[in-house]
Amino acid sequence: MIATVVGSYPKIPNKPRPARLRNAINKLDRGQITQEELDQVAGEVTIEVLQEHADAGLDLVTDGQIRWDDEQTYLARGLEGVSIGGLIRWFDTNMYYRQPAVEAAVTWREPITVRDYSFAVEHSAKPVKAVLTGPYTLARLSVDHHYHAVDALALAFAEALNQEARALQDAGASLIQFNEPAILRFKDDYTAFAAACGRVTDGLSAETALYLYFGDAEGIYPQILDLPFDLIGLDFVMGPQNEALLKRTPFTKKLGLGIIDARNTRLESPDDIAGKIRTLGDGIDPDRIHVSPSAGLEFLPREVAQEKLRRLASGVRQAEGVPA
Amino acid sequence: MTTGLVTTTVGSFPKPPYLQKARNQFAAGKLPREELDELEKQATREVIALQEEIGLDILVDGEMARGDMVVYFAEHLEGMEVGGLVRSYGNRYYHKPIVKDVLRWTEPITVDLWRYAQSLTEKPVKGMLTGPYTMVEWSFLEGYDTFRQAVLEMAKAINYEALELDRAGAPFIQIDEPALSTRLEDIELAIEAMAIATEGVNAKTGTHICYGDFVSAYPRFFDMPVKQFDLEMANSSHELVELLKTKGFPEDKEIAWGVVDVHSHVIESVDDVVSEIKRGLDVLPPERLYIDPDCGFKTRTWDESAAKLRVIMEGVHKVRAELGIE
Repeated sequence: MIATVVGSYPKIPNKPRPARLRNAINKLDRGQITQEELDQVAGEVTIEVLQEHADAGLDLVTDGQIRWDDEQTYLARGLEGVSIGGLIRWFDTNMYYRQPAVEAAVTWREPITVRDYSFAVEHSAKPVKAVLTGPYTLARLSVDHHYHAVDALALAFAEALNQEARALQDAGASLIQFNEPAILRFKDDYTAFAAACGRVTDGLSAETALYLYFGDAEGIYPQILDLPFDLIGLDFVMGPQNEALLKRTPFTKKLGLGIIDARNTRLESPDDIAGKIRTLGDGIDPDRIHVSPSAGLEFLPREVAQEKLRRLASGVRQAEGVPA
Repeated sequence: MTTGLVTTTVGSFPKPPYLQKARNQFAAGKLPREELDELEKQATREVIALQEEIGLDILVDGEMARGDMVVYFAEHLEGMEVGGLVRSYGNRYYHKPIVKDVLRWTEPITVDLWRYAQSLTEKPVKGMLTGPYTMVEWSFLEGYDTFRQAVLEMAKAINYEALELDRAGAPFIQIDEPALSTRLEDIELAIEAMAIATEGVNAKTGTHICYGDFVSAYPRFFDMPVKQFDLEMANSSHELVELLKTKGFPEDKEIAWGVVDVHSHVIESVDDVVSEIKRGLDVLPPERLYIDPDCGFKTRTWDESAAKLRVIMEGVHKVRAELGIE
């Protein structure tokens, strides 16, 4: 069984630890440091985050998306044809993103996340997975001034992200994950979504994962089992109905169990976590289960996120029958 | 006061730079509470003076003591805690509150500053509260098993505060629920909570809710037990106005029609304001149509806020003159 995360991690700790990244960005804004100096700090913070992930006992980590301003623009800024607009609420969270506006054909120019991925691998004690926002979610949360159809736009993003995924694969990524929360909100778009999934994974030899969160898969399950991913992660916190879906139709892929609440500070106990893993993973080969929080952890204060990861790892070991 | 197109604001005003600086110093332990109190009062005097000078009808105290509409109440309610830093966007972070334990209102929170503001003017000053749904929805939740339980308990706490404002003589109490706009599926819970929050309150009540899919929540949305709905109409869909025109709006209720966009630096023209007011007059008679900006001014500068209010006032005068009600 693999204890892992979905992607993002809080960028700054609380007092007495210094908020280094926040301070560095402020200094850059005031012209007191250079972009290179900010990059240096972002790298150091990433190393710190990789260390926290490893210390918590995770088996598979990410770079915490420390350099990502939000889940939409980090990729969108790197693509041709997209400009960045005003702030808008990200789903029903208290976080905001700058809305990408598609002005011309979406084109991949050069690697966007490969440098970050390689940096993380170089500094991580644990295996690292590459995480990208999926093509449908990128399309759904953008303003479309060019394609005038979400299916065409999602396909265009899929084509571009496929290039990015190939570049990650060339850099050694053995697991590439696509986060697609938007499809749970707009299930009527399933056909467009499925087409984009096909395009984005086309020709990849690395393992691929799809993470769906902020809701349940009712209405698109078991269809999602036909999508070309090796692993699908589901949110059992905001989507408690997922449990019944799995009972109705057995899960045939590697399963991502999102069972720690990534959006609330209430701490789960390792006992409860282990119990949930046993119930939800019943009948599935433990080697095919990835356990994680329900979504990226950036909704939480850093210290709470870290404590949740410790408990997650401890619950996973308990479910495996490993003595604490 | 006139008989129609009463003017007001949504609640917050920008904090003058000296107050912002003082708040930072206070947070760092470098300024005593009493000195901060004095500066909050000074800023309140300036906010009242500005509104008087512009000629608004219903004033606010500008919320000079509040950093954030949820955190401020969290600091004063028993059972709530101000948590660690969470990022909201870019390089902006805030201390997201936690409903940690059983919620209890122990003493008046907003009454002193309201009373002070009211003592400075002959015009009515609104009492401003954050609604129970928003208080819980924008906090972490640990102290209650269910969201619903926490919202209903929060409603009791907010009701104590509303009753205190009522007793102190506030003629109008606005209980804002901006969080509802992203989750209108929770309308039933929000209605139930608002009924508790306003129970026994004699003052006129209102609520401000940011732009949301009111069309799909129609008509249940307008069953919220308040007299006035303060809505972001400057950004609203044509569809909502059409719906209100054809299907109607409760006859005993009012709308405060937000006619300028507070999230933009651009100052609207008087003509923009006039045409927005006229859109409102297509739906409601002037006695039940209030005119205000579409949200709080917290994110604008002092000058931008004043400029937007002057444009509103000019537009209102123009329309009142046309209607012969001034």
